[in-house]
Amino acid sequence: MAPISTFKILQMKIILINIIAITAIVSLASCKKDYLDKTDPTKVNTDLFYQNQKQVEQAVNGVYGTLQGIANNQWLFNELPSDNTTIDFNPSDRGQADRIEAFEFYTLNSGSVNINSMYISHYNAIYNINNTLVKMQKAELSDSVKAVNEGQLKFIRAYLYFELTQYFGDVILITKPLGQPSDAWTYLRESQDKVYTQIETDLKDAVTSLPVKYSVTDVGRATKGAALALLGKVYLTKKQYADAVTTLNQVLTLGYSLVPNYADVFDPQKKNGPESVFDIQYQGGNDLGEWSSFIYTFAPRLSAGAVTGWPQSNPGGWNIPTNDIINAYETGDKRKDASIGLDFKSPVTGDVVPYIKKYDHSHSIYGRTDDNWPVLRYADVLLMLAEALNEQSGPSSAAYGYLNAVRNRAGIDALSGLNQQEFSQKILHERRVEFAFENWRWFDLKRTMTTTELTGFLNAYAVKEKANPTVTRQGIPYSSTDYIFSDYEALYPIPSNELLINNKLTQNNGY
Amino acid sequence: MASSKLNCFRMKRYHLFRKLLCFYPPRLLWRPSKLLANVFFSLLLCCGNMVHAQSSIVSGLVKDENGAAMQGVNIVRKGSSKGVSSDAAGKFSIAIPGSSSTLVISYVGYVTQDLPVNAGSNIEISLKRDVNALNDVVVIGYGSQRKKDVTGSVASIDLSATKDVPVANPTRLLVGQAPGVSVRQATGRPGGEFEINVRGLGSLGAGSQPLYVIDGFPVGNQLGQNINPNDIENITILKDAVSTAIYGARGSNGVVLITTKNARSGQPSLNVTASYGIQNIPSSRKVKMLNGQEFAQFKKDIFMDKIRYFEQREPSIDEVPLDFRYPEQTKISTNWYDAILHNNAPFQNYNVTLSQGNGNFHSLLSAGYVRQEGILTNTKFDNLSVRANIDGKVNNFISMGLKVNGSYATNNFANATEGRDNIVGSALIMDPRDPIYNEDGSYKSYIGGHDGIFGFPNPVQSLKEIKTRQETGQLLSNGFVEISFLRNFKFKTSASALLNYVSYKQFVPSTVAGENAPPPRDASETDQALNTRNYSTDQLLTYNNNFGLHRINVLVGYTAQEETTKSLNGNGSQFPSDLTPFLNSAALKSAGSSEYGWSMNAVFGRINYAFGDRYLLSGTFRREGSSRFGEKNKYGNFPAFSAGWRVLNEKFMPHISWLTDLKLRGSWGITGNNNIGNYSSLAFMSDNNYILGNNLVRGQIVTSLANPSLGWEKSKQLDLGLDIAAFGDKLSFTAEYYNKITSDMLLPIQVPSISGFTTYLSNVGKVQNKGFEFSVRYKTKVNKVGLWTNANISINRNKVLEIRGNNDQILNGDFYGGYNISRVGRPIGMLYGFKMLGIFQNQAEIDKSPKQDGAIPGVYKYLDADGDGIISYDTKDMVEIGNPWPKFIYGLTIGGDYKNFDWSILVNGAYGYDIYRVIEASTMNMDGVFNVLEASKQRWRSEQNPGSGKYATTNTWKWERESNSRYVYSGSHMWIKNISVGYTLSKTKLPFKSLRMFASADNFLLFTHYPGSNPDVNNRGGINPGLDDESYPLTRTFTFGANFNF
Repeated sequence: MAPISTFKILQMKIILINIIAITAIVSLASCKKDYLDKTDPTKVNTDLFYQNQKQVEQAVNGVYGTLQGIANNQWLFNELPSDNTTIDFNPSDRGQADRIEAFEFYTLNSGSVNINSMYISHYNAIYNINNTLVKMQKAELSDSVKAVNEGQLKFIRAYLYFELTQYFGDVILITKPLGQPSDAWTYLRESQDKVYTQIETDLKDAVTSLPVKYSVTDVGRATKGAALALLGKVYLTKKQYADAVTTLNQVLTLGYSLVPNYADVFDPQKKNGPESVFDIQYQGGNDLGEWSSFIYTFAPRLSAGAVTGWPQSNPGGWNIPTNDIINAYETGDKRKDASIGLDFKSPVTGDVVPYIKKYDHSHSIYGRTDDNWPVLRYADVLLMLAEALNEQSGPSSAAYGYLNAVRNRAGIDALSGLNQQEFSQKILHERRVEFAFENWRWFDLKRTMTTTELTGFLNAYAVKEKANPTVTRQGIPYSSTDYIFSDYEALYPIPSNELLINNKLTQNNGY
Repeated sequence: MASSKLNCFRMKRYHLFRKLLCFYPPRLLWRPSKLLANVFFSLLLCCGNMVHAQSSIVSGLVKDENGAAMQGVNIVRKGSSKGVSSDAAGKFSIAIPGSSSTLVISYVGYVTQDLPVNAGSNIEISLKRDVNALNDVVVIGYGSQRKKDVTGSVASIDLSATKDVPVANPTRLLVGQAPGVSVRQATGRPGGEFEINVRGLGSLGAGSQPLYVIDGFPVGNQLGQNINPNDIENITILKDAVSTAIYGARGSNGVVLITTKNARSGQPSLNVTASYGIQNIPSSRKVKMLNGQEFAQFKKDIFMDKIRYFEQREPSIDEVPLDFRYPEQTKISTNWYDAILHNNAPFQNYNVTLSQGNGNFHSLLSAGYVRQEGILTNTKFDNLSVRANIDGKVNNFISMGLKVNGSYATNNFANATEGRDNIVGSALIMDPRDPIYNEDGSYKSYIGGHDGIFGFPNPVQSLKEIKTRQETGQLLSNGFVEISFLRNFKFKTSASALLNYVSYKQFVPSTVAGENAPPPRDASETDQALNTRNYSTDQLLTYNNNFGLHRINVLVGYTAQEETTKSLNGNGSQFPSDLTPFLNSAALKSAGSSEYGWSMNAVFGRINYAFGDRYLLSGTFRREGSSRFGEKNKYGNFPAFSAGWRVLNEKFMPHISWLTDLKLRGSWGITGNNNIGNYSSLAFMSDNNYILGNNLVRGQIVTSLANPSLGWEKSKQLDLGLDIAAFGDKLSFTAEYYNKITSDMLLPIQVPSISGFTTYLSNVGKVQNKGFEFSVRYKTKVNKVGLWTNANISINRNKVLEIRGNNDQILNGDFYGGYNISRVGRPIGMLYGFKMLGIFQNQAEIDKSPKQDGAIPGVYKYLDADGDGIISYDTKDMVEIGNPWPKFIYGLTIGGDYKNFDWSILVNGAYGYDIYRVIEASTMNMDGVFNVLEASKQRWRSEQNPGSGKYATTNTWKWERESNSRYVYSGSHMWIKNISVGYTLSKTKLPFKSLRMFASADNFLLFTHYPGSNPDVNNRGGINPGLDDESYPLTRTFTFGANFNF
C-alpha cells in the first residue's frame, strides 16, 4: 500500500472542498433570475431618468451642452463662405481641401462631412429637447419649474431651427420624439414658412415663461430678453418689420446696456456682462472638459505659440480675416484692433498673416481657453431695431439713435442725413464690423440681399481675394472651380447620406 | 533501455502524442533531492486505496513492457465497480468472492487486460502500451471521442511539426497546419498574437475570431500572451456546427481547444529546453526610399517642373530655394527605416518541465521564460510562466485534477507603428537629409519642417525616449472532481477562474517633437490599470455504455460564466522636468474609472451513438442565455446533428487490402456569435455638462437608441466530409465541403438623423461562407530514412447575401486611404476606389475625357463609372478595384529523419488576392512634402518624359492620392515559413537520458511580387481587410537550441 500521509489527505480534501464550494456557489448564483441582467454600471439607463427636478434640469443642461459642440464649428458655415474670412493656405497638407476649404472656395458638395455632422448635431440636440419636453411631463416638478425648463428648451429649439432653415431652406420639422426608429422615414422636408411658424410659437412660449434674470448660479440660461431678441431677428428675417420693432422694443426695458469698452465684450474676465443677451458658455483653466479653444483653430497655421502662448502645436490657420474686412474699418474704429491681430509674420514667407483677436485671451492651460461665444448681444438688438425702423419707414431719429450708440462706443463719428437705402447700407456695414467673426455675416448677407445680389456680391469679393490673396498661395494656383459662387449655393446641400438613407428626401437644387 | 529510447525518438517524428511519451518515459533515471521532493511533491496528493480484508485474496505485481513496476494501475473485478490500485512497488491485492474470478487491469495509455484468476494466487502482469489508442482519441467540446467515431469537422494540430520553431505566442503553432483555418501574421510586434479565422469571415458587425477554450475553460476571443506554448499538449480546432454548437452563442466562428500537458504515468522526469536566436529583416523585404541627394534632386525637379508647367519657361538656378538648389552638395543621407531597426535582435526561450507520474496522483510542474526583443529599437516582449498540473484518483470512484498557471508578461512597445503618422510609416517619408544626431551627439529632434517639407519627430529618439510599457499578470486555474457511479455514469463538476491584471504606462518627454511641432513640448503621461475576473463552472453528467453492437455516449451539462473588468486610468501633463515621469509631478491631471462585464448560462446535451462501427449518429443541443442579449431575446437555442458511415466496415464492401478506413460524414446545425458588445441592447444617459454662473453644472443627454429585441448572430452550417485511411496508418486523406450562412448579424442600421441618431443596432443581414478543404497526411519509413508530410489546401468564398432594406452596402475607409465596400451579392469588404485608366499626357486628352476638375497633364485618368460625364471628387465614380480574399490558402509541412538527424520544412501561402497599399498615398505623395519611393524616378514629368506610366506628376496634388486602383497590388505569396533540423545524441555518450540539438530558420523565404514588406498585413481587420499602412515589420529569425531529458 502506498504510504498515507494525513497531511496530503488534508490538502487534497481542502482542494476538493474548494472546488465543490466554488462550483456550487457559482452555479447557484447563476440560477438566480437576475444573473443575466447586466447594465452598464457607469451610466444611467435612459428608462430610469427624467424622474425629478434634478434629473430634468440635468437633461436641460445637457441640451445646453450640445450648443458648445455646435458653436465650435459654426464659423465654417457662417463666416468662412462670406467676405469676412479666408484660410491660411497650407501647400503641404491638402487633406482639408474637400472638408474646410470647400466652404471658402464654393466647391461644396452634398458629401461634405462638416455639413453632415452639423446636420446630425442639430437634430440630436432637437431630439434631446423633444424627448425632455415629453418625459418631464411625468416628472415630479412644480409648475413654475416646469415652465422655466420648457421655456429654455423651446428657446434652444427655435434657435436650432432658425439656423437649420437659414442653412437649408425647407427642413424636416420634428417636435416630438419618435415612437420607433422606423418612423424617421415618414418625415419629409416642410416649407420654410411652416418652420418659421414653429419657431415663432416656440419663442412666444419662451417669452412668456422665461424670467428676465436668473440667480448668480444660473447665469447663462436663456432669458426673456434672449427669446425676444431672437424673435425680433426672426421677424426681421421674414421682413415683418412692425413685429420686429414691437418685439425688440421690449428688450430695451429689460436692463441691458452697451459696455463702454468694446473689447470688454469678449473678455472672459467680464463674461455675461450687461451687454450679453445670450452667450454659449465655456470655462477654461480647469479639467472639466468645458473649455473653448477657438483661438487654436483661428490662429495662423505656423504661429506655434506666438498667438496662443502655447507652442505645443501649430494652430489651424482657419477663419483668417480677409484684406477686405481689414480695410472695411473706418479710421479710428476701436473695433479693428479689438477684433483683428496684424502682428504675426509667417516664418516661411515673412508676410503678415492676420488673425481673429476676439477670442485670443491668455489662459493657464494649453488648449483650454475661457472664452464664451457671443450669440445675441445688446448691440445686435439696437442695430436690428435701427434696421427694422429704417425698413419700415426710413431712418427715423430713433433709428439714428440706435445706430450711433453703437458707433459712438466704437469711437467713430455719428451718422446723419442718409436716405433709406444709404441707411440700410450703413447698417449692413456697421453690423459687419460690429459682429465681425461672431457668425452673423452669412445670415446678414442672406437677409439683406436677393439671391442674385448675393451671387454678384460674393463673386465680386472672390475676384478681389483671388487677385490679391490675404495669405500667399506660395505659387500654387487656384483650381479652376475655386471661388465661383452660383445662386444655388445660397443654400447648403442636404447631406448625401440622408438622401441615401431616405430616398424620398429631396435635395436642394443645384447639388 | 537504450534501444527503447531511440525507438521512442524515431516514433516521435511520426506521432504527435508519442512525443510526450518520450519526454516522460517510465524509467526512473532522476531522483529528486529531498528539497525538490518537498517543494514539488507536497503538491502531489497521494493517497492509498481501500483494502477489503476478505477471505479470498488475489495478490499480484504489475510491470510495464520493460519490466518496471507500475504504480496506480487499476485492478477491478469484472462485473463490479470495486477495485484497487497498485502501489509504488507495483504490488496489489484484491479480494474476490468465491474461488475464481476475472480481473480487469487498466491504465491510461496501456492496453486493458482481462485476467482470469483463482483465489489465493499470486500473479504477475505485464501491461503493453496502447499506441493506437492514444493516437485515436481527439479532444472535442466537453469531452473526447475516438477518432474513428468523429462525425464533425475537427482538426488536430500536429505540434511535433513546430517543436523547434521560435514561438512567443501559441497562435504561431497553427500556421499552415489545418485546412479551413487562416492564420496570418499581420504584424511583427514581439509576442504578437496571429490573426485566426476559421472558415472565412462570418460576420459584418460583430467579431469573427474563434472562441479559445483552455482546459475546458472558455477564455474569450483572444488567446492573449500568457499561455506558454511549451505547456500545450494538444490543440484542436472545431469547425462545423455539430462540433461547435455545444458552445452555443460562441460557436459560430469556430472553437480552438487547447489542452495543457499532464504528467504521464511513470517515474519522474525532467526536461529542459533552451534556445537562442537572432532576428533581422532581409534587405529584400525593406521598402526602398530616395536617399538624401536623390531627395534634394527630387525637390529641385519639382520646383523647376512647376515653373516649366505653370509659367511655361525655363527657371534659372537662382530661383531654386537654397535648401535644394545644389543636390549634389547634400552631405547627409539618413536611411530612417534602417535607423529605427535593432539588428540581430535576440530571441530567447527556456523551458523546464518536471513530471511525476507515480502513484495515484500525478503532477507536472513547468516554468518557461521567453524574451523576444523587437526589431524596432527598444521594443521587447518578456513572459515568465509557471504551471502546476495535478491529477489523479482519490479512490476508484472519485478522481480530481487541478491546473494552475501563473504568468507575467511585459511589453515595451512603440506605441503606434502603423500609418504615416507613426514610427514605421513616418520613418519612410521623413527628410533623409537630416541626421539622427547633432554634431554634439544629441538627437536632432525635429526632422524636416522647412521648405514645404513635413516636420516629424525623430523616430530613433521617439523609440528611445518615449517609454511605453505594458505589464500583464495572469492567473488561470481549473479544478475538477469526477465521480463515477453505477458503472456507466460519471458526474464531473469543475470550476475555472481567470484573473488578469494589466498595467500600462506611457511617458512622452518634452524633448520629443510632434508632427510639425518642434520641441520642447509639454511632457505627458498616460497610466492605465485594468483587472479582469472571469469565473466559470460546469456540471457534466455522462453516460457511457456498450452493449452488443451498440455504443452510446450521452452528455448533459450545465454551465455558467461571468466576467467583470474594472479599469482605472489617469493622464497628466505639465511636468517640472522629464526626470519624474509620474502623475504626482504633473500639474494637470485627469482620472477616470470604468467597469463592464457579461454573464451567461446554458444547459446542453449531446448523444453519440455508434452501431457496429458502421453507423455513427450524433446530436447536440444547447440553450443559452446571455446578459448581452436584449430583454425580449434573452435565450437562444442551438441544435446540431451529424451522421457518419464507415463504409469500409460494410459486409458488401469488397476487401481492399490497402484501404484502412473509409468514412462518409455530414453535419448540420445552428451556432451563434455573441460578440455584440456588452450593453448594446440598452440606451444610456451620457454626460454632457455645461457651464452656468461660471461653474460646472452636470448635464445628461441620450446618445443611443435601445433595442430590446437585440440577439445573437446565427449561423447555419452544413458540412460534408470524406475520410480515407490507407496503408495501415501511413496515408490519410480528408476532403470537406461546407456551407455556412450567418444571419441576424449585428449591424448598425442607418436611420435618418432627424431621429436624433445616425444608427441603431439591429439583427439584420446575411453572409455566406462556403468552401472546400483538403488535407493529406503521409508517413513512411524506408530502411533508415523516415519521411512524413502534412499538406492542406482551403478554398473559401464569402458573399454578402443581405444587408438591410434601403441601403444595401457598408462603406468604410477614407478618401485618401482606401475604402472597403460590402455589397449584396459580392464578397465582404471589397477594395473600392477610382479605377485608374492611365495618365493624362496632354491637355487635349483631358479635354476629350469626362471632366476631372483641376486635372492637368500627368495626373491619373479615372473611369467615369456613373457615366455622367464628370469624375466627381467623392465616392460616386468609385468601383470595386480589388478582392482582398485569397482564392485559396495552403500549408505544407514535410519532415524526415535519417539516423540521428531529423528535419522539417513548413511552407504556407495564399493565392489570388489583392492588397491596397495605403502607405503609398504618402510614400508616393508627389508634391514634395514627403520623401518618396525609389520608383518615383519613373514618374511622369512631361509628355516627352512620361516615366513608367504608373506614377503621377509632381505639379499638383489632385487626382493622384485619392483611393484608386493604382495602389492595388496582388498579394499572392508563398512563404518558406520555417526550416528546422535536429540531431539527437545517442544515449551511450550521455550522463542523462537524451539530448537533442536543433536549429531553425523562421520566416525564412518569401516569394511574392507584392512590393510591401508583409503580404499577410491586415491593418484594419474585420470587414476592412487587405489594407497595408506599413505595420511593424516581420523578422527572419535564426535560432539554435538544445533539449535535455533527465
